[in-house]
Amino acid sequence: MIIAFSILSVIAVISALLAVRLRNLVHATLTLMAFFVALAGLFILLMAEFLAAVQILVYVGAVGILILFAIMLTQQVTGNVKEHIEAHGALWGLAGATAVLLTLLLPAILKTALPLQPVVETIDPSVRALGLNLMSPYAIALQVIALLLTAALLGAVVIAISPEKSEEEKKS
Amino acid sequence: MVPLHYYLVVSAILFFVGLLGVLTRRHAIIVLIGVEIMLNAANLNFIAFWRFGPNPDLLLGQLFTLFSIAIAGAEAAVGLALVIAVYRFYKTPDLEKMTSLHE
Repeated sequence: MIIAFSILSVIAVISALLAVRLRNLVHATLTLMAFFVALAGLFILLMAEFLAAVQILVYVGAVGILILFAIMLTQQVTGNVKEHIEAHGALWGLAGATAVLLTLLLPAILKTALPLQPVVETIDPSVRALGLNLMSPYAIALQVIALLLTAALLGAVVIAISPEKSEEEKKS
Repeated sequence: MVPLHYYLVVSAILFFVGLLGVLTRRHAIIVLIGVEIMLNAANLNFIAFWRFGPNPDLLLGQLFTLFSIAIAGAEAAVGLALVIAVYRFYKTPDLEKMTSLHE
């Protein structure tokens, strides 16, 4: 268990670092997909098998491809080698992120008394219970999410559509 | 079993990496990738607390993560559409060059 956890978390951290550090955008997206897969493995270790499947379907399948399409629709892929990839004041960004990690997140985790063992040792497969929950107590939340996704999809199309082209279509 | 601390530390490090991407890179798509990494770190926290909590049968953590993933999907779609629209206007995805409000 601890071996699987170590391997998966090392893969997750390294691929996340590569995803935000690589110059080539397509490589960055591919390492981001590796990060999503490693996180799905961690979900399986935590016995959330349905969410691991959702993670792969939604993130690797949809979000990753969406990012690849956005890269395809904008600019050159590899970027100019001489061009800086860092923002102005990137060192301040690094300092700020490190400060958040070292002063807020890690002390909060290490100072709190947390359980070493899960209270419930084994958990039954949760897909059926999840479905029942989504259909009765959380039905309204599910409807709201469906509405939000539809609105977001329509909004994304409206934002991304080219203004000149839509006017041409109106004329024709 | 792996203690809860370990999961939380991994999640904190992943959040740090995502924040690093948002704060230090100038390409708009990489900034969105950083946001996605931070959202996933938060999801890992939800699942870890659900697993180690007193009532995993209630599935609260899993349901919350499910909705969080749906919101993240909507966010990614709208964010990338905005990147494409902004790219069409400025002809660059470089966030440093989008300064019309500043000038």
